[in-house]
Amino acid sequence: MMASNNVKKIVGGTRSGERRTLLLLTLALYLFWIILSGKMEAKYLIIGFASALIIALITQPLLQVPARADQGEGRSLYNLPWLRLAAYFPWLLWQIILANLQVTGIILNPRLPIQPQLVRFRKKLPGPVAYLTLANSITLTPGTITVELEDEQYLVHALGDAAARSLVPDEGEGEMPARVAMVFAEGESKRTHLQQEE
Amino acid sequence: MADIMAVVLITAGLFFLTVGAIGLVRLPDFYTRLHAAGLGDTLGLSLTLLGLMVYEGLTLTSLKMLFIGMFILLASPTATHVLIRAAYRAGLKPWTRGEG
Repeated sequence: MMASNNVKKIVGGTRSGERRTLLLLTLALYLFWIILSGKMEAKYLIIGFASALIIALITQPLLQVPARADQGEGRSLYNLPWLRLAAYFPWLLWQIILANLQVTGIILNPRLPIQPQLVRFRKKLPGPVAYLTLANSITLTPGTITVELEDEQYLVHALGDAAARSLVPDEGEGEMPARVAMVFAEGESKRTHLQQEE
Repeated sequence: MADIMAVVLITAGLFFLTVGAIGLVRLPDFYTRLHAAGLGDTLGLSLTLLGLMVYEGLTLTSLKMLFIGMFILLASPTATHVLIRAAYRAGLKPWTRGEG
């Protein structure tokens, strides 16, 4: 009771949206605590809630991703297209499995058929989280690693021609950048823009 | 039945971890070796964890393993990226075919 009063005082003057995200973060952290501890005694539940609340208060500003002029608008981490991200994830897992088998084949091949190379490509995405998602997806897929990301330009190290070509085909753009752009696309205008690019 | 599944999954995971280790030895330079390390980070660990989860059944412990897996999938590419960017900025030349 005391704690919740304090929260109201601290967040009192700000928008109701921030109060809701604070509550959401606290509940998520609390649930995480309960899963990790697995103990249901009142003592642990109270300690857990207090920690969750304090951590939520301290870390909440960190979850607001700042906007950068050259990298699209900033957004709150709560404001992600979670559903489309969830739909993107199975496809990413499948790509990871395929790439794993490909790299396994290269390594176990006695002739070691590698053609290491650096490839560059540009991709405009709507926000920092979108850039992060694409960079992490590229690195997560064996055979390609994001070396640098600056001003919408990705520099990727690829282990073989096939891996490089999958990201930077001779014509058009790779499937992974297109899919990430689709996940983070906002509204209809951007989606039709994407179709024109393809 | 679940035990057999678990054994198959863990064995597959160990296979990818082993191939990653072999790649670490066989590949020529720092950049390409990071690719081999990625094998163990992704399928190697995921399959091993999945096997352990199947073995454990639907308990709090297997839920924790799921969290470990999710954390690895987020943290490992970040660490790999930082390593490779540091090497690139320090001026390490990537090995290429032809130049020797």
